[in-house]
Amino acid sequence: MTRITLGSAVLRGTVVGVLTASLMSTSALGAPPVDLSKWSPEYVRSIAGTQDFDTAADCAKVTPLDYKGRLTFWYQGVFEGDPDLLRQYYKDFFETFRKTYPNIQLEDQALTYNDLLDKFRTALLGNAAPMAVRLQILGGTEFASKGYLQPLKPEDVGYSTEDFWPGAMKAVTWEGVTYGIPTNNETMAFIWNADIFKRAGLDPDKAPATWDDVVKYSKQIHDKLGIAGYGLVARKNAGNTPYRFMPQLWAYGGGVFDEATANPTYGEVELDSPQSKAALQASYDMYVRDKSVPVSALTNQQADNQPLFVAGQLGMMISHPSDYNVMLDLQKKATGTDKDKAQTVIDNMRYGLIPTGPDGKRAVVFGGSNIHILKPEYVEGGKVDEPAAKAIICMWSSPEWSLKMAYAGSNPGNLNGFKTKWMKERLDNIKFLDVTTSMLPYGIPFPALPQSPEIMNIIVPDMLQNALTGAMTVDQAADDAAKKVKDLMGGL
Amino acid sequence: MTIVTGKAEVRRRLQPGRSGVLRKIWEHRADYAYVLPAIAVMLIVIAYPIYYTIELSFFKTPPGLQLRDKSFIGFDNYTAILTSEVFWKVTWNTLIWTLGSTFISFVLGFGAALALHRDFIGRGILRAILIIPWVISAVAASYIWKWIYHSDFGIIGAVLVGLGLADRPPNFIDNVSTVLPSLIVVNIWREFPFAMIMMMAGLQTVPDQLLRAAEVDGANAWQRFWHVTFPHLRNVSTVTILLLAVANFNSFIIPWIMTGGGPSNASHIWITHIYELAFGRQRWGVASAYSVLLFLMLMVLGYFYVRALAGNDRKEGSA
Repeated sequence: MTRITLGSAVLRGTVVGVLTASLMSTSALGAPPVDLSKWSPEYVRSIAGTQDFDTAADCAKVTPLDYKGRLTFWYQGVFEGDPDLLRQYYKDFFETFRKTYPNIQLEDQALTYNDLLDKFRTALLGNAAPMAVRLQILGGTEFASKGYLQPLKPEDVGYSTEDFWPGAMKAVTWEGVTYGIPTNNETMAFIWNADIFKRAGLDPDKAPATWDDVVKYSKQIHDKLGIAGYGLVARKNAGNTPYRFMPQLWAYGGGVFDEATANPTYGEVELDSPQSKAALQASYDMYVRDKSVPVSALTNQQADNQPLFVAGQLGMMISHPSDYNVMLDLQKKATGTDKDKAQTVIDNMRYGLIPTGPDGKRAVVFGGSNIHILKPEYVEGGKVDEPAAKAIICMWSSPEWSLKMAYAGSNPGNLNGFKTKWMKERLDNIKFLDVTTSMLPYGIPFPALPQSPEIMNIIVPDMLQNALTGAMTVDQAADDAAKKVKDLMGGL
Repeated sequence: MTIVTGKAEVRRRLQPGRSGVLRKIWEHRADYAYVLPAIAVMLIVIAYPIYYTIELSFFKTPPGLQLRDKSFIGFDNYTAILTSEVFWKVTWNTLIWTLGSTFISFVLGFGAALALHRDFIGRGILRAILIIPWVISAVAASYIWKWIYHSDFGIIGAVLVGLGLADRPPNFIDNVSTVLPSLIVVNIWREFPFAMIMMMAGLQTVPDQLLRAAEVDGANAWQRFWHVTFPHLRNVSTVTILLLAVANFNSFIIPWIMTGGGPSNASHIWITHIYELAFGRQRWGVASAYSVLLFLMLMVLGYFYVRALAGNDRKEGSA
């Protein structure tokens, strides 16, 4: 059993308190629809199913239901790593929108997480962007700062700013102006296979408490069972990499800047700090020294870890609650004895909080997506049908659909989503949801800077790859990455 | 100075026998008319982008600003590229990739063409099978090979471990030393059927009488190949090699899908690096300068390609 000293308890409490304050409260905002100070799995259960919402009636106040128009819309859609359940909800959403607004001609296009930014940037250069776009959380400030987006706040589509997570609102705000609306917000959790833990001589019901434990457990699993311990991901240009490495970096007390503090200024680059190097060293130890993680980590994404996990070849990984549903989908597709093996893995699947750093600091990426309206001059045809764009934004960010579209893997951007009957249903149906909602207070948003996509998708994965391939030492890789960030911030 | 004053004068000047070049143009006026639509399209979809890329290569395009906020910096992008370590690493990778892929594809394709040129049972089936890699989508092939090479659960690794030839699966694409050769193998697998088809077409043009005459004269198989077959294939070989080289210089799909240029930039070639600079990092100016340099290199290859084709034409004309 882990013993917690008074000192470490106070320290942990302070850290969590600061993070919670950063994420959940701001004096500039009014009262949110849910009491964020009481946030806990029990509280989330107590508010679920307490309020009804009529989405069509609410959105009719923004754009009349008989409105006639045309809308081009791109969004980050479902991909190979998502469960079938989510696929169905996406299908339902667009069918419902077309029924609710039968006179809006909707031309929608789904793109994967890793393709969307590149394609959207290219379209913008040719003034051929869609009228509205749903982007990953990283993209908001980049495009707002460049002047591509129209100001858009929740009040413009019938909601109030307090209906959304304050941390999420930061990601759509640039120089004091709001340019979009969060659709969903997420924090991941730590997943492990209890059977593998047991066979490796570890406590099957206890997640590793610290990242140092992850390194030890990974080695123990590999040495005893000959399989990969921890599902490290270090592919470049893949969103999965920062979502898994940044929690580790922050837990060790490092960061790209000071983004893990309550009031970040992004003034100093901290990728070359001793704490950041310690986090990188932990990855190095697992990949190079212990060889306890998949060798394919440099070219793999989380979608590649999922089959390994369900095949019983991977002990631990970081992911969404939706991975449980993904495992169920994979199990259905398995045949013969593989089906039984997959079921054993599913029965032994456990979720826990993401481990802390050496000083008790726990962190996770506060991720998600936002929805935006483009300025007419960057849109194909030079016109934006604002009422049509607001209609789809109102629907997607409604309590009902912001929850349904995040049903298995994420959380509703609109806090009222937690009060809906679908949230209650979801708590019963989606296993381990409690754990990921419990991680929300530890969520740290990516730096709200236009340079963030390059830092997170290219510089940080490059740093990992340089260290893990031996192209550079850990120190050199961290120093090189810090220099690249400094150059980037300096306009080079 | 002569001033052309009217249509009659133009017609008179273009009459056959008046001027060598003008006469030839007049003689081929129908040909020019046929290619005019294609040239017009090329001017719109190729010439303007080339002009714009060259223009953009002289501008600084900070990633935090829109493209219209670019600032003129002369040759600074070129200087920055030529003095950067990454440029030389990527150029070296590109040379290995292009030369390795081109020559091995050609040699294998040529060998396959010679083998299939003979008449034997099952030749048609074998020819169809060998063409399969070339007709498969490069995207699909890249994903298939990614799983074949997979460093933990790849088919090759499983076979080697299963046969007791290795303790653990070999690391093909997650290793800075082996990644590029591994990708070249995939590229060769995709491309050698093209070389095979080209050389098979070339082999059809080798006169049987000459080969039979050489045989009657006592020439062995190697002598017949070296002194009769190969000289006839020189031009088609040149064209095939040049086409393969141009395609490989421009190759994007296999390295991008399989490794994204990684790990640690070990499989970045020019095209993937340019793509990352432009679309991932939004350094449009630097990416344009890289593109201009690549364009110049391809123009050199293009020159030799046209020369080779012209050589063919002259030869056929004199025959």
